Amino acid sequence: MIYVLLIFWITSAILAIQARKLIRIIVYLAIFSTISAVCFFMFGAPDVAMAEVAVSSFSTVFMIVCFEKYFTLVTDVSPDAPKDLKFRYKLSKILPPVVFTLILAGLFIYFIPEGTVNTYLKDLYLERFRFDVGGENAVTSIYLGFRVYDTLFEALMLLISVVGVAHMSCRSEHEISGENFSGVTKSDSVDVYTIRIICPAMLIFGMYLVLNGHVSAGGGFQGGIAIASFFICRYLIYNVYDVRYGKIMSFEKMTFAAIALLASLFIFLGFYVQFPQIRTAYLISMNMLIAMKVSFGFIIIFYRYIAFERR
Amino acid sequence: MNYEIVEIFAIALFFISLFGLITSKGVIKGIVSMIIMEIAVVMFFLSLGFQTGILPPIGAELGDNVADPLPQALMITAIIIGVAVTAINMTMLIALSRQFKTTEWDILKKKNME
Repeated sequence: MIYVLLIFWITSAILAIQARKLIRIIVYLAIFSTISAVCFFMFGAPDVAMAEVAVSSFSTVFMIVCFEKYFTLVTDVSPDAPKDLKFRYKLSKILPPVVFTLILAGLFIYFIPEGTVNTYLKDLYLERFRFDVGGENAVTSIYLGFRVYDTLFEALMLLISVVGVAHMSCRSEHEISGENFSGVTKSDSVDVYTIRIICPAMLIFGMYLVLNGHVSAGGGFQGGIAIASFFICRYLIYNVYDVRYGKIMSFEKMTFAAIALLASLFIFLGFYVQFPQIRTAYLISMNMLIAMKVSFGFIIIFYRYIAFERR
Repeated sequence: MNYEIVEIFAIALFFISLFGLITSKGVIKGIVSMIIMEIAVVMFFLSLGFQTGILPPIGAELGDNVADPLPQALMITAIIIGVAVTAINMTMLIALSRQFKTTEWDILKKKNME
């Protein structure tokens, strides 16, 4: 079963690399991400599968929005490239990358360590996560307790990326604010009515994922993207663009500061050992802060793309 | 050498997308190859120690046939960082196409030389 899925997976990836039209690239990438999410679920990783599904749906939407304005979706990716070339010229272009890739693959296979995978850390974490950190979900306990540095620096990376996206976009904040854009999406079609019905369910699902992240599959990242997609649906329904960047960006920075403060208080100053009765409160509040941070970041990224598109 | 078939698929896809990244004529194909490469890396880490009928590490009583939670916790952060990198790439692509009116590497190189 898993091998059939993997064959489809690798085929869709090769098709996405080989396709010449933009709409086909987007569709093949969506298929590829969905199949990889199913594979992650079969590997026993429902958290990663949820994150992959959420991220892939978000990135599909923003790729369509991004390409719609600047390139036509049905044209070729590289229309200016010369088509009829001599065979020797093609061979001389293709051969060095093939040799380079094959050499790298050979080195990788040669240096792979022998023997079975060491399961020391796995056994240690699975044995001790319930007493050291709390909660029922080992994955959440690891990224909020044992390896909280990873979460901190991941939140920092997302913050830096949001700042970069906001910096590299050409229009300033004052130009955008107050404008009401009328554009491609019609706000009386069947899709919009469907989105209106689905929207509250999405918000409730996101909040469920966040609040229930420490006992079952879910967590801050996945719930944050679900909540962000609720706010993105607002654009699709009302077709307006009136988000205040400055406020959302300062909220995001404050949320990051709160995450760093809470983690350093509990993990590094040893509140964890002193007060074992508030561990669950720590896990839930940390998940909520991460969800707020991720959803603010994704809202800013998406609305920046809309600002690019409608000018 | 001690390989499962699943890991071989992931490694093969990583190198296929590396090949696509090297031979890409336009910037868009490079971005698509980078997305696929990142998911291949995630697949490789998650497929370590795979057995059929493996269970997620959630719940009060964990049996023997449980997946490794450490790569999963690392890969969630890797996926979020991947979408951040994709967003930055898209923004740079738009700025590039706005300035030079093309996304082909050859034409960009020629315009940069002038």
